[in-house]
Amino acid sequence: MSAARFSRFERVLIESRSRVDTAALLLLAWVLCKRPELSPTQRLQRLARAGAQFRHAIGLKQLLEIAGEQDVSALQLAAEVVRDESTPARRLTVLQQAIGLATDDGALSPSNHYVLRFLADLLSFEPTALATLFSELTGHALTPAEDISRSDYWLREDAAFRQAQAERARAEQQAEQQRAREREKAREKAEQANEQARRERERHERASRSTPDPSGAYKSRRALAVLGLSPGATREEIRRAYRRLAQLHHPDRAYAKSEHHVALASQRFQRIKNAYDYLIKAST
Amino acid sequence: MRDLYQRLALSPAADQPTLDSALSRCPNSALRRDAEAALGVESHRARYDELHQTLGDIGRLRAGLGLTHAPHWQIDAANDFSMPADTAPPRVETLGRRIAAAVSFFDRWRSAQGVWLLITVFAMGAGVGLALGLPLLAWLGFL
Repeated sequence: MSAARFSRFERVLIESRSRVDTAALLLLAWVLCKRPELSPTQRLQRLARAGAQFRHAIGLKQLLEIAGEQDVSALQLAAEVVRDESTPARRLTVLQQAIGLATDDGALSPSNHYVLRFLADLLSFEPTALATLFSELTGHALTPAEDISRSDYWLREDAAFRQAQAERARAEQQAEQQRAREREKAREKAEQANEQARRERERHERASRSTPDPSGAYKSRRALAVLGLSPGATREEIRRAYRRLAQLHHPDRAYAKSEHHVALASQRFQRIKNAYDYLIKAST
Repeated sequence: MRDLYQRLALSPAADQPTLDSALSRCPNSALRRDAEAALGVESHRARYDELHQTLGDIGRLRAGLGLTHAPHWQIDAANDFSMPADTAPPRVETLGRRIAAAVSFFDRWRSAQGVWLLITVFAMGAGVGLALGLPLLAWLGFL
């Protein structure tokens, strides 16, 4: 013999004149306790109304208290008693009362979706039989339970939550755009820097290439050197030097020697003439 | 209805920081979104916890009654809230045995009542005699 005392529901069951009815009433009280919108008084009234169908309906308040405590072992005892000892007619009454208590002036609560289906299994009603009974009693079809573990349920049901989520999504999108803009900006900056560097490099290259290029002073110094003059020579001196050198290096003078001499003399004469042309042009 | 706590490897009593850290570690983005919606808001979590509790009770009841493969117990709820089968004897049998034991104990008590009464009266008489006799002896000067 176990040393534990008899639980409250066991005492109620022992004292009851009809165990099946007491056990069925506990299950109905459980259904009522899964409707959070009802006050204790309303629950008691409804259970008493349902209890009119049963032979033995006393201690309802105690049954409601036991059901409210979520005492699984008491519920299991009650379920076993109802399953083992009730007639088919009694089973139908129990399920009808349960549907009635779960739905009168109110929608089926999420918990009661599962409780009713549990009772249907316990009383061996097939899903089709339960659906038929439900639509006969309530006038609308038994829908599958809503899945409150999914976000779409809350997005649909809770307007404030939907709004908050939408705002969050918008903020995230804006942040994303901001980030994209910043990335774009950074990329542009990097490109500009690249361009700058490229230009810088080009300028450098041009500068380094242009150093051997004769600038104005350097060119005229070389041209004067060609004519055998020193910087600061006048126009007259240039002309005289040119005439002397042209006579000296004219290709016609080398005509008698050879073609090679002519070619060389013509190169020299060309250089002298170029220098003279440059200096005359620069001095005007 | 799925058991989000089980899927996130959390206890149903987990507080908000624990929940947040579990969410940030969760690799499944769909599960994370669902858990944020159902558990992240206090009012949502209260409703979720209530249903979670009910389904846990129903899972235990079904395990105890051998209804874990019944036609109404399917899909997510059945997957997440089914318990291993209960090996304890039916509660009705246990209750019957306990009532029988209580009855036999009561009967034994009733049948042995005369003997117990005699023993009780004798013990009480001895107690009273001792309580009165000791002061009397002391008063007479024998102690």
